Amino acid sequence: MSLFSFCKWMAEWTAQKMLIPIFEFQEGLFPPFTNPAGSIADWLGTDGGITTLAWLYAVNIAFAVGMTNLILVIHLERKIAARIQDRRGPMLSFRSFRELGEDLAGSAPSWKFKENYAGIGILQNLADGIKAIAKELIVPAKADKFLFTMGPIIFISSSVFLLVLFPLSDRFAASSAPAGLMVIMAAFSIAPIGVLTSGWASNNKYSMIGGMRSAAQLMSYEIPLLLSMAGVFLMAGSYDPVVIVEQQQASSWFFGIPIWNFIPQFIGFIVFMICILAEVERVPFDLPEAEAELVEGWTTEYSGIRYMFFLMAEYIRGFAGAAVATILFLGGWAGPWPIPPEIWFLTKVYLIIIFWIFIRWSVPRIRTDQILELGWKKLLPLSLINLLIVIFMVEIYPYFSEIVSLPEVF
Amino acid sequence: MAEMWISMGPQHPMTHGLWTLKVKVDGETIVDADPELGYLHRSVEKMGERRKYFMNTTLTDRLCYASSTTWTHCYVNTVEELMKVEVPQRAKYIRTIMLELQRLASHLMWAGAYMPDLGHITGALYFWRDRELFLNLLEAPSGSRLLYNYIRIGGVKRDLPDGFEAKTERVMKLFEQRLDEYADLFENSKIFRMRTEDVGKFTASQAQNLGITGPNLRGCGTKFDLRKHDAYEIYDEVDWDIQTREAGPGYGDCFSRYMVRIDEMKESVRIIRDCFKKMPAGPTLASQIPVRAQGEAFRRTEDSRGEALMYVVGDGSDRPYRWKIKSPMFTTISACPHYLKGYKVADIPAIMGSIDICIGETDK
Amino acid sequence: MEITSFKQKLSSCEGVTEVSVIRDNVVKLNLGNKESKDFFIKLREDYGFEHCSLITAIDNQPEFELVYHFSAINGSVFVKNSPSAVMVEVHVFLERDTPTIESISDLWGGANWHEREAFDMMGIYFIGHPDLRRVLLPEGFAGHPLRKDYVYEIHEEEW
Repeated sequence: MSLFSFCKWMAEWTAQKMLIPIFEFQEGLFPPFTNPAGSIADWLGTDGGITTLAWLYAVNIAFAVGMTNLILVIHLERKIAARIQDRRGPMLSFRSFRELGEDLAGSAPSWKFKENYAGIGILQNLADGIKAIAKELIVPAKADKFLFTMGPIIFISSSVFLLVLFPLSDRFAASSAPAGLMVIMAAFSIAPIGVLTSGWASNNKYSMIGGMRSAAQLMSYEIPLLLSMAGVFLMAGSYDPVVIVEQQQASSWFFGIPIWNFIPQFIGFIVFMICILAEVERVPFDLPEAEAELVEGWTTEYSGIRYMFFLMAEYIRGFAGAAVATILFLGGWAGPWPIPPEIWFLTKVYLIIIFWIFIRWSVPRIRTDQILELGWKKLLPLSLINLLIVIFMVEIYPYFSEIVSLPEVF
Repeated sequence: MAEMWISMGPQHPMTHGLWTLKVKVDGETIVDADPELGYLHRSVEKMGERRKYFMNTTLTDRLCYASSTTWTHCYVNTVEELMKVEVPQRAKYIRTIMLELQRLASHLMWAGAYMPDLGHITGALYFWRDRELFLNLLEAPSGSRLLYNYIRIGGVKRDLPDGFEAKTERVMKLFEQRLDEYADLFENSKIFRMRTEDVGKFTASQAQNLGITGPNLRGCGTKFDLRKHDAYEIYDEVDWDIQTREAGPGYGDCFSRYMVRIDEMKESVRIIRDCFKKMPAGPTLASQIPVRAQGEAFRRTEDSRGEALMYVVGDGSDRPYRWKIKSPMFTTISACPHYLKGYKVADIPAIMGSIDICIGETDK
Repeated sequence: MEITSFKQKLSSCEGVTEVSVIRDNVVKLNLGNKESKDFFIKLREDYGFEHCSLITAIDNQPEFELVYHFSAINGSVFVKNSPSAVMVEVHVFLERDTPTIESISDLWGGANWHEREAFDMMGIYFIGHPDLRRVLLPEGFAGHPLRKDYVYEIHEEEW
């Protein structure tokens, strides 16, 4: 049973048992033609109404799953960073509230740090969220107020949009567009508009340079990124994530072990991993928000929940980027039977994210001209070479092997 | 993109203290720079004229919070020259040990501050973790962790505590191991070298003329270290070499300056070991220390950041008539338009970080 | 050049009086205000004093005294059997009413801010300085606080 049919079943149930009776009851309370409740009830009875409701359910489930993963990714980043740096990281847990309780009860706090601060620290996210919401939203006096407000909204909405686009497995998918990965990449490239908008609207020189850097970086990395993806699309013959994963699972070399795309297209895999790192703006490619020279770049003037939006959106983009990498090159949700495919998918995504966290905390940031040079002079030719190899494998070799009966290699 | 002035500081992650660097940028390229000082000016020289000679060590401790012993030592050395005080031999050895420990702590502080400038926060925590060990060592004889006030006119405050040598040896051994470990993370790392090599270049002759001294000058290949070239304490008796690096013939870049400091830390460890080996027994404070002084004297010492020079004029009273402090960073910052021009905005923290700014001593 | 012969050569320079060797590697001399620039050019070009360590201004009441410290980093002047780097300490006396001297910041780039500081703290005017502004004190600060006749109370209200 796929996610969507489950949602449809749930939508039917809620519509029949809850929504339609409520709206009909409401209609009875008011004189006719003053209340649209009756027409809503009628619409919910049709197939279109049920489908719309089912979509709402599906999107919300995908969103909830994505947000849960977001919290886990942030937590993972904090903990691994702390371990790399010889620290413990956040240790806040429910037990840590003991001191607060003691304080509220009027007795002196016992300061038992070892006992009280020994949790895994997942509550730190909650604390940060509460803090961010509680902060004042400062808008600079000379900022363009409309664009200043729109910047974070564009950024977070395009990122949250990503969450519903990629499937966790062939059954757990909120959307199943045939051009799935193209839509994902399109959603990926909306965010720079938000960055540029907020960088310009802040009326701050640091922010503006940050926004410019972001635009330049994404311009130069989008092309090798899409070219390295083109190899996979050629192999699968489709943009659909489900088809791509099936194709990877179907191609096998020996003993029936599937050959995932990262082996035949190793160059493409490397190029893709570097480009997606630049796309989601993580160290060493986080130039737009370089804190050393640009004071967090385009986020300088933002405070409170708007700043939190930027942070969250970055992690969502990171998660989505890792998910795309998994679908394209690491066999997606395919894996041995007893473990469900969703878990396999998330395991692979988290492995990529952990790899990124290790990179983030062990290398410095590179410079603007160097990043552009890397993008245009090294990654672009490499992605083209990868594409040529794939064309040879998929089109040219089979064509000639039909004529002169070459051995079947690919 | 049109040219524009960007004001970095006084509150900016690049500044490492309170000062302003105004840079004129053309897009991302630096066209001009204008440093501004004075945000941390405490008029130490004027204050010193109203205090007795021995009281001023409190002020000199606060000249540079990262390297307080070296500054106190420079002052004390000058006043001893002025008063013609003979320092006991053991005190000289203890001073040398403390100076080198302070140099290690100061260089580690610098290395830790330099890494976040390049976007490498882990490096900061690694180096500061090691600095902690040296602060513990400095704390053992002096009793405080940042502002020691340990070196006094005529000697040192008290003798080294028991077991200090063994503890120091343990720390130094660990530190040497860790430096070898860090080599993979920093100087052998491709990205680190991409950021530091061929950035912030200046030649040795330029540096000498602009008044750049210390590790920054040695990073251009000039063999000039006041511990050898104007020997004080017992630097001429212990066994050590001047560390130099150059990025190319006669010029240095950020990477060579980084490597000079790393080499210097290894050399400091060598000096400390040799000092412990040769240290004689005896008193640690001169028996007769005058209060008044007449005449003038200057002394220059190799501070962690370069040439520290103090010039004291006494008029026969117990307070200095004029006390002048030369901070190496004062001239180095003044020269920053020379070595910033032509580089990118992202290079500003890399360059200004590599010259090891301390605003406390610069603003006096 | 050995330091004793260097001392001999310096004493024959115009405007130089009371040349003496204090410590084994420091030559101290007094210099007339008018001849100062020519002497400094000679010091840099002929004797290779590449580095201007410090410029100190002293209020000797009534006259001002400027103390220059130069050092030879490349060893053009040396001390026999010693690695010590030679320094020259130049004392120039200025009148109180017209505390002016020619700037040397075109010879030594490092002297630029030392001169600015001397102007800032002591009110010495350096003729030909490219950018003689206050360096440590804010623009518009009244008076020169390291002068001995500076009275804090007068300026207290302004700052």
